[in-house]
Amino acid sequence: MAQVYKILILLVLLLASTVAASNAQDRAPLITGTYSNVPFQDFVKDLEAKTKYSFYFDAAAVDSLVVNITVQEKPLQVVLQQALQSTDLKFAISSEKQVFITKERAILTALPQGFFNGDDSSAGSEPAVLAETFVPQDTKKKNAVSEIKLYEIGAKTGNTSGNANLAGHLRDAKTGEAIIGAYVYIESPTIGTASDQYGYYSLTLPKGRHELKVRGMGLKNTRRQIMLNADGKLDIEIEEDVRALKEVLVEAEKDRNVSGLQMGMERLDIRAIKQVPTAFGEADIMRVVLTLPGVKSVGEGSTGLNVRGGSTDQNLILFNDATIYNPSHLFGFFSAFNPDIIKSVELYKSAVPAKYGGRLSSVLEVTSREGNKKKFSGSGGIGLLTSRLTLEGPIIKGKTSFLIGGRTTYSDWLLKKLPNDSFNSSTASFYDVNAHVSHEVDSKNSLYLTGYLSKDRFKLSADTLFRFKNENASLKWKHIFHNKLYSVLTTTHSHYSYDISNDENAVNASTLAFGINQTSLQADFNYFPNSKNTVDFGASSILYNVAPGSLTPNSPESLIAPDKLQNEKGLESAIYISDRFDISQRLSISVGLRYSVFNAMGPRQAFTYAPNVPKTEGTIQDTVSYGSGETFATYHGPEYRLSARYGLTDNSSVKVSFNKLRQYIHMLSNTATMSPTDIWKLSDSNIKPQVGDQLALGYYRNFRANTIEFSVEGYYKWMHDFLDYRGGATLIMNHHIETDVANAEGVAYGVEAMLRKSTGKLNGWVSYTYSRTLVRLNDPRVSEIINRGEYYPSNFDKPHDFTMISNYRFSQRFSTSLNFTYSTGRPITLPLAKYYDGSTERILYSDRNQYRVPDYYRLDFAMNIEGNHKIRKLAHSSWTLAVYNLTGRKNPYSIYFKSEEGKIKGYKMSIFGQPIPTITYNFKF
Amino acid sequence: MRMKTLNWKNAFSWLLMLLVSCVEPYTPDVLDAPNNFLVVNGFININGPSTIQLLRTQNIYDESQPLAESGAMVKIEEEQGPAYTLEEQAGGYYVLHNLDLNILKKYRLYIRTSNGKEYVSDFIDVKPTPAIDAITWKPVDDAVQLYVSTHDDENNTWYYRWEYEDTWEFTAAYYSYLRKVGDEIVYRDLKYDNIYKCWKTEKSTTIELGSSVMLSQDVISNYKLLTIPATSEKVGLQYSILVKQFALTREAYQYWEILKKNTESIGTLFDPLPSQLTGNIRCVTDPDEPVVGYMSASSMQQKRITIKANELPDDWRLFYPRCAPLDTIPVDKAIDFLGETGGYLPVGEVFPENSPTQFPIGYTYSNRSCVDCTVRGTNVKPGFWE
Repeated sequence: MAQVYKILILLVLLLASTVAASNAQDRAPLITGTYSNVPFQDFVKDLEAKTKYSFYFDAAAVDSLVVNITVQEKPLQVVLQQALQSTDLKFAISSEKQVFITKERAILTALPQGFFNGDDSSAGSEPAVLAETFVPQDTKKKNAVSEIKLYEIGAKTGNTSGNANLAGHLRDAKTGEAIIGAYVYIESPTIGTASDQYGYYSLTLPKGRHELKVRGMGLKNTRRQIMLNADGKLDIEIEEDVRALKEVLVEAEKDRNVSGLQMGMERLDIRAIKQVPTAFGEADIMRVVLTLPGVKSVGEGSTGLNVRGGSTDQNLILFNDATIYNPSHLFGFFSAFNPDIIKSVELYKSAVPAKYGGRLSSVLEVTSREGNKKKFSGSGGIGLLTSRLTLEGPIIKGKTSFLIGGRTTYSDWLLKKLPNDSFNSSTASFYDVNAHVSHEVDSKNSLYLTGYLSKDRFKLSADTLFRFKNENASLKWKHIFHNKLYSVLTTTHSHYSYDISNDENAVNASTLAFGINQTSLQADFNYFPNSKNTVDFGASSILYNVAPGSLTPNSPESLIAPDKLQNEKGLESAIYISDRFDISQRLSISVGLRYSVFNAMGPRQAFTYAPNVPKTEGTIQDTVSYGSGETFATYHGPEYRLSARYGLTDNSSVKVSFNKLRQYIHMLSNTATMSPTDIWKLSDSNIKPQVGDQLALGYYRNFRANTIEFSVEGYYKWMHDFLDYRGGATLIMNHHIETDVANAEGVAYGVEAMLRKSTGKLNGWVSYTYSRTLVRLNDPRVSEIINRGEYYPSNFDKPHDFTMISNYRFSQRFSTSLNFTYSTGRPITLPLAKYYDGSTERILYSDRNQYRVPDYYRLDFAMNIEGNHKIRKLAHSSWTLAVYNLTGRKNPYSIYFKSEEGKIKGYKMSIFGQPIPTITYNFKF
Repeated sequence: MRMKTLNWKNAFSWLLMLLVSCVEPYTPDVLDAPNNFLVVNGFININGPSTIQLLRTQNIYDESQPLAESGAMVKIEEEQGPAYTLEEQAGGYYVLHNLDLNILKKYRLYIRTSNGKEYVSDFIDVKPTPAIDAITWKPVDDAVQLYVSTHDDENNTWYYRWEYEDTWEFTAAYYSYLRKVGDEIVYRDLKYDNIYKCWKTEKSTTIELGSSVMLSQDVISNYKLLTIPATSEKVGLQYSILVKQFALTREAYQYWEILKKNTESIGTLFDPLPSQLTGNIRCVTDPDEPVVGYMSASSMQQKRITIKANELPDDWRLFYPRCAPLDTIPVDKAIDFLGETGGYLPVGEVFPENSPTQFPIGYTYSNRSCVDCTVRGTNVKPGFWE
């Protein structure tokens, strides 16, 4: 405190000494000279000699600076301007012939106008404001907390016209965590931006006084009075809206819907996710994503997403930038993400930013929280089947924080309690652990480290054991070059593997294993050259290492011949650049280009097949051997990303986008759902990459002061060379998988309409989607012809889909949620005829996917009861009571026909076929 | 305390019920399209009688007997060699006895139906079947588990399919020494008119496939053929099983595997989708017409074993036939009430208490199904029965 005081005294003295002087610049001497690669200190010495000015500067700040200028009879002001042009150094000349060189912000050599006319009663606090406003402090940026105080950004200069840049971080006032996706804007003229995943924003505004407004999901709306003189920084701390804690808030989307350029994107905040009832009482990201228009799944108990007619492997699922290959636990009954550590989820269905690539249909980006930077806290939940605990807090207050979360199930113990033998010997368990450390090295550099581990174990009736695990790590370094440019360097590692052991019969006892490793390095740059342009560019490279399968005997008597499929290796690299250009208030466009290259690398023994006939074992012509690291197949191509928005009125707009995406890794699965035993396969000389194009058009309109939003989006998609399977394909331990798969082509189209009310006692959304997905296999050179070469509905073609998510808040402590979904039944292949094969009846099936299962609908209900909202309390707790499938509708999960005792019988299997009540206790301290 | 544990257990079972799925019958109503495609059953037996059965497909819910294809001309043709015509028998069967085919040649089946359509199979390799090494069994978890083991010294077979016929001895619930003939109740001739002890034979209805390709030798060790619960009537007295083994080509194995997947191995949470099944028989005159069936050229190996009830674990509670307690009927009403072969059958005689006399005052009787084993089986002892 004393230190601060001393500095203040000094400053006041310094300022006072400069007050008296006036129009010093009139008598400024003219300087002539040529400086070529002259160190700054020598340059200054020369100037001091030529003029009578004394220079004051920090030697360390200039030691690497050299001066390259030629001047002819110029005043000192101009000379210095030229010399410091390309640096962040500023100068100020006092009337006492003193020159102060400072970093980033010029010292004011005179008190602002009206300094001495201020209200005397507030004099005690004025110096502090003064110091904050006018003096470059160590942090060189402000933590603005007051809504009424005027924050001056940059030093006042004579020039008040033109633009200046304002950048900074948005942080939670309570935890110091970055706030993502909050909207920072001024209203006249309307200029705004949303904070990125680091809470960073950069705005170029006209110089002068503005009221800067900030709005975000679950945040108190706030504003700051700013006086923008020159480029500068302003960090803003925002308070959480406690009252709205359990309200579904999609408030940040309010303006984005109409005024944002992005289309086909949904962002969900964890608070919104926690509101939606689920089967096991635990907030489930994947299940909430499934309620969004354009997102479907084949059935319950599967977390595979089908986005706008894409298959389940066409979604890039990123957790803090690391790819997650299996986003589920216990065969899809739980999602792999612990809701307590998640901050937000973003889903891109169209207009995928150029930054992302490698999957055809969508990008699902899951971001974890950073952890409380101000105090130690924790949260958790106790449910019927799972429990979870999360701890977080600062390591270095305000700079470094940690977040660690764990989750486990006790269904294993539960199974053991059952009297039935086959349940007794079954086990099912999983756990996952997340750890996150974020560290602010200095004002320009931040580091983020994330680790994630999830493991599953599932044993059915004592002899077959399934295990699978995800291991992910990511390290990010964010570096701010200056207000307008920052970069993020990311390195990630993802591992996914599973094994299946069977030890019932010693002779056949074996373990089947699969694994995939992926290491990536990525550099992303964000550049805000002016108020009209935002440029993103960067490069990335991913190295894949796949162990497609190995079969090993696991008992000494086992006769299983050890077998191992060749490892696969591939390198996927891409560079991209995109520019968002706001041409006018009404019209903005975004143009992006990504160029990706995939190299399939040895060592490998690759088969070559006879051309123009389906690949079978019989058409293998040769085996070619490639050495380690040798590239034996290369695919590359441009990926275009275009989008445009035209504002029709202040509250309505149209947007259009076109995308091309390429996918070099494929999932092999002959089940309709995503199962843990699916195999991932890299493109190689026999498997082409998948390519998809999407054209989307949308109309957006907000009503009632942006509280109700409406959107309609239509899309048409072309997909080429995605994998479909031949009849009876063998996918496991297949040494020539290309003989069992076929490149199919598909089209998908649809219209999605959504009406959303984000605020008020009653909030939620209603959406309707009409969509079709059709597949065709009609090239006899590639495979057998399915359905005579006609287009047939894909497994997840569900034309009509209606979803309603509604929440009603009775009081601040009691709210309810009622959700309804309806969709057309998915296509199935039905038995058409039966026949007697000599001993029993068998079935002849119809054309592929010619019929449909009964329609799906479900009604869920949940109630949240909060404890009181007293701020000072040991722990805040809440109870969630939910009923999943309130009407007990037996929705078909699977329909099948089998011959039993010589008769054909049809069965419908439903899971969750009755109302499922759950209760969960959540706490936070 | 005990009470409490029980409650917990109930709660847990209830919880698990939530997890466990629910399966119920399902009958879609779109399956009425009339279709009758040709179905070809059987195989070309390289050294024994070849029996081919020609049938037609039916609608799923058609309860009638499958229609046999009669009047067809069926031949086995050698590639660039002679053809052998099969003889038609009743029920769509076409038979050729005593054929001895050259295992180095390829053969195909040729069919011309009475409506003039021609069908041929692909030319197929001959694959002889190695002998069955052993049929074994052991008690596992209150059930008899039966296994088949085989091997091929020449490491040449790799793919196997099995069928079986199981036969068991059983009795009616009540032993009747009486029978009604006309207006009289007479003693039954137990030697020639036995309705107490019978035998029943069933054919396998599942597709049993085994492969040794994952192994370093062509050995099938203890393939699980079937399980019979301890409480099944089959093992109540004496049980016998005849296992038939067939060698398959890889393509034939794949066909059977898909057929099995399509019709048996489905209904789990992670179903493979039913896939189109294409056999190796096609219609020459109408290439778009589906034909059902897969032709193989092979031989058949058989082996039989017998399991007697006294070989089973002592603590097993085996099947015992049960029926409602016997009723009685006075002598004067018996003739009108009892039947000769149907309705209620007499079981034994009832005498007055404490006064033994030669003449019964009534008869005990029961349902025919409780007395007459021929309702479900045959009272002719099979030739192989020990």
